[in-house]
Amino acid sequence: MRRLLMAPLSSVGRSALGLAETIGGATLLFGRILRALIPPRFDRDETWRQLYGVGVKSYAIVVVTALFVGAIMVIQTAFYVRRTGATSLLGYGVGFTVFAEIGPILIGLMFSGRVGANTTAELGTMVVTEQVDALRALAIDPIRYLVVPRFVAMMIMMGLLMVLGDGFAIIGATLTADTLIGVDPSVLISSLLESHLLDEYLLGLGKALCFGVSISVLSCWFGLGVRGGATGVGRAVNNSVVANAAAIFFIDFVVGWLFPVGL
Amino acid sequence: MTAPVAIRCEDLGKRFDDAWVLRGVDLEVRRGEVLGVIGPGGHGKSVLLKCLAGLLTPDAGRVLVDGEDLARLGPLGLARVREQYGYVFQNYALFDFMSVRDNVAFPLRQQAHLPDAEIDARVAARLAEVGLAHALDLLPRELSGGMKKRVGLARATVGDPAIALYDDPSAGLDPVTSSKIFQLIARMHARRPDAATVVVSHDVDRMRAICDRYVMLERGRVVFVGAESALGDAPEVVAAFFGGAERAPTGGG
Ligand SMILES: Nc1ncnc2c1ncn2[C@@H]1O[C@H](COP(=O)(O)OP(=O)(O)OP(=O)(O)O)[C@@H](O)[C@H]1O
Ligand SMILES: [Mg+2]
Repeated sequence: MRRLLMAPLSSVGRSALGLAETIGGATLLFGRILRALIPPRFDRDETWRQLYGVGVKSYAIVVVTALFVGAIMVIQTAFYVRRTGATSLLGYGVGFTVFAEIGPILIGLMFSGRVGANTTAELGTMVVTEQVDALRALAIDPIRYLVVPRFVAMMIMMGLLMVLGDGFAIIGATLTADTLIGVDPSVLISSLLESHLLDEYLLGLGKALCFGVSISVLSCWFGLGVRGGATGVGRAVNNSVVANAAAIFFIDFVVGWLFPVGL
Repeated sequence: MTAPVAIRCEDLGKRFDDAWVLRGVDLEVRRGEVLGVIGPGGHGKSVLLKCLAGLLTPDAGRVLVDGEDLARLGPLGLARVREQYGYVFQNYALFDFMSVRDNVAFPLRQQAHLPDAEIDARVAARLAEVGLAHALDLLPRELSGGMKKRVGLARATVGDPAIALYDDPSAGLDPVTSSKIFQLIARMHARRPDAATVVVSHDVDRMRAICDRYVMLERGRVVFVGAESALGDAPEVVAAFFGGAERAPTGGG
């Protein structure tokens, strides 16, 4: 009986410990990354290689996601627009939600699923095949050589992809508005431009950069922490994806709270 | 023998969870000597080698390199010490995103600031020495196990390290290549008279040609240290190991 009562409690306790360990470990790793960045001492070649790899891996999925995000926003608002005839508000509505909220979150989630999970698997495999030990044996700091280039690449790419994604979301919205409710593209675009969404746009970009930090730090942390062969890598990828998604929602909430735009 | 001590282990112990894999290991590796490490599979040889390179932190005792305790060195100090090392991993540990050429060139590019032409020449020469001149542009996944082993050997030795650690350098190789590998180790050693070399192997016959002294590990403890001539006083198990490779237990990794 006692054991029956204790089991869920101890599982809660274990999860709490795991969470504390992840947050603590990731924060320490973030600190070490910053120390390697100022002044910059990390591998340039590897950074270029990562920039290229991260970009190639993620741009297509971001373009597709963004097109659909724009389209879905129009479909969601089509009902009200038709009812009220407020076509001039369509651009504002789409821009506001996409730039500040939905765009960064969805692109962050896609990016973490594509690039974050890949990073955890890659680093985890390097750990279990002793490639990380081989680096250390050659007097090379794995943080400087493996983690910092990935961090820099993911930050830069999240920023660029957000700009790209915002653009394609508007394209998706324009096309859908035109075909679905017959709103001329020029109407939507001018409504968007007139609604002065620069704050929202910058907020979204800021969120994307924060997601870039959390995704790179967490996925590297889970990757370097792998123990025990291929199953260990699988487990780490799994944990990394879940932690990344949770972190994205948490950061979105905190940033939205600290910088309430449009209110 | 008054050559300076390169690596000294004092009462070294290492455990994973509750299982002690190394216990009370006292050991010296002197400059200029080749130390052979033997023992049954799974009894702690690879773990010992990793402790010697500071890749694993001891749970008891300490490891001193040139008199400095590895556990007390900061990251920079550790990096400075490790620049002397060349390490051949039992499971190759090749960088799988780099070609064979880049793998071998890596230590030179990172540590010795040499002109590219010089690096290329050295890499090509070292790969030719291990019989892989034709494999320069292959990726690790395109190599056989034995080829990977030889690339690992080329990578570890290309910088002429002052401390060379070889974990089972001839495992999975045919007899001819095995002999070549041991000749290469001997040649490497001759090139740097001050080098301290540690070779883990099951190939006792070939070790005889290069090793000055041996250490035998059994269940994580040192059961024999010394030259083969001192075998007379050694326990039965040790003699059996030297007596004939066919009777010696061999490990499967
Ligand atoms: N990372 C690790 N985690 C847990 N246990 C380990 C780890 N590395 C080694 N061991 C254990 O330590 C013991 C010694 O392993 P080690 O690799 O040193 O053996 P070995 O003497 O090199 O064997 P072989 O001759 O087969 O290479 C083994 O029982 C192994 O299970
Ligand atoms: Mg071993």
